Amino acid sequence: MTLQVASAIGTGQDVRTSEGQPGWLVVAEQECRDLWASGRGLILLFLFSVLVSAVAYLTSTNLALNFLEQRESVNLVLQFAVAVGVLATLVVSADGISGERERGTLETLLVTPVSRRSIIIGKLIAALTLWFATFLISIPYLWVLGRDVGILGPALALGFSVGTLLAVGLGSIGLLISAASNSNKTSVGASIFLLLILFAPTQLPSGLPQGWFFEALLRANPVASGLAYISSLLVEGHSWTQDLSYLITPLLTAIIAGGALVLAGPQLVRLTRGVTAG
Amino acid sequence: MTSVTVEAVELTKRYGAYTAVEAVSFSASQGEIIGLLGPNGAGKTTTIRMLTTVLEPSSGEYSIAGHPSRSATEIRRSIGVLPESSGYPSHQTGAEYLRFHARLYGKSHGQARSLSAELLAAVGLEKRGRSRISTYSRGMRQRLGIARALVNDPVVVFLDEPTLGLDPAGQAQVLDLIRTIANARDATVVLSTHLLPEVEQVCSKVVILNHGRVVGAGSVGEVIDAALIEHSAQLRVPLHLVARARQALTNLPGLTIEQVEGQPDLLRIAVETPGAASGASPVEAMNAGLTAVAAAGIPVLRFELEGARLSDAFLKMTSEAVA
Repeated sequence: MTLQVASAIGTGQDVRTSEGQPGWLVVAEQECRDLWASGRGLILLFLFSVLVSAVAYLTSTNLALNFLEQRESVNLVLQFAVAVGVLATLVVSADGISGERERGTLETLLVTPVSRRSIIIGKLIAALTLWFATFLISIPYLWVLGRDVGILGPALALGFSVGTLLAVGLGSIGLLISAASNSNKTSVGASIFLLLILFAPTQLPSGLPQGWFFEALLRANPVASGLAYISSLLVEGHSWTQDLSYLITPLLTAIIAGGALVLAGPQLVRLTRGVTAG
Repeated sequence: MTSVTVEAVELTKRYGAYTAVEAVSFSASQGEIIGLLGPNGAGKTTTIRMLTTVLEPSSGEYSIAGHPSRSATEIRRSIGVLPESSGYPSHQTGAEYLRFHARLYGKSHGQARSLSAELLAAVGLEKRGRSRISTYSRGMRQRLGIARALVNDPVVVFLDEPTLGLDPAGQAQVLDLIRTIANARDATVVLSTHLLPEVEQVCSKVVILNHGRVVGAGSVGEVIDAALIEHSAQLRVPLHLVARARQALTNLPGLTIEQVEGQPDLLRIAVETPGAASGASPVEAMNAGLTAVAAAGIPVLRFELEGARLSDAFLKMTSEAVA
């Protein structure tokens, strides 16, 4: 008998609603509703608000005691907002496929005509809304800290650009890990571990030691190099183009991870063997 | 005119050296309810997952609603599925859940809203549509799952263990729904289960799987006949008329009569070789015996056929395959 393998990935035309909405948008809409209406997104946002308030309070007291310059305090809060926003995006992404698999809701999605690619794109977009929300929340804090030194506009543009690149890159990695993991705990744990590894070098008290090796290490790390770019502009007063090379890794991460998610992700979105034997 | 809507030819699924499903072939027509039976691990769910495009077969072909296996998207547009142990987003309401799935099939917001209301009413959940799914009982969730399987008005509906864990009332409601799907919607229903009484109630055709292979297929009657089970019956008559009953039965060809040990008013009647003695089927031979006893003026207190049920055929076929 000739083997006629079913195209389980679905190569046919994707769904479009009678209003013209593509399948990924339908998935994104529902995922956003699930994220925000279920309260999960709001809880994460509330925790972020508490933390950013504490960080802003500490930096402003340091500012009053002349321990910190105003530019440094803006940089600190912005870096915190980017790091936590990206972390939240990563955690939500990491739950995207493995969570559905564990809750037994993935199969009902897979038997609909919406392609697997649309499913993961919709999930990534929903996860990114968490980054955008954390960024919005941090705006008033940045305004209070940076209003007198005229860096609010650049800080916001910078934070938004770098943060979005990192959120797309790491959110895509989170979804790829989630699709490849059989357990949700493994997926979320691995994603948080990844972020901690990437984020740790930025938290060393005196930064990374000097030397070409550590410079290479910094530039290979998308989070560290993205945050270094923010510092170089806000604290050291460099121009936009002076240290642009710091953005290569965040940009490549977003392109490569996003591309891998769109191209290879659909192959990973499947029920694994042994879900049931019947 | 009915058409073939499900056709599986030599479907096989292997995971390395392990073969989950081997060369499974069957077909079903429009409006038919076909039961996919088998003990746990027989390959029912794997077969359904292949037919619903969730798993790729290792070899073999299938077509659903005329679409060949390579047209996965077209197949998905034509089917409705209630997976085994399907999960539900507990924070969503029943109506919201159905609306989302209707949107996944290309319905507009308005169409999805009216379809959701219509389907909730069809499965008897119209009053609970605005409640969160977390507040639903298991039976209500199963009915919601069936409603979801109908959002695209499917040609074929796959139901994997839809009555699992339900109480008798819940089972009856789900079975009623299944009949309605086949009769009113003229859809083919592929029902996977290991509860045989429900299959006898609703299925026009069955496929019995064991260890991934088909060990029996056809109508319920055909499967029972194919199992070649010894057909027998237990006959209870008043104690003082037992001898007369034996006398009446002895004259019939092909029947063996014996006393049930410890129960003097109970006779066991067996068909010696099904169909061989008189050319009649085992059931006809039994009917002839019952008629003879009644004609002799003996009141029949109990007459119970044994070996003529689907469960007997199922047990014989699956145990033979193990042996």
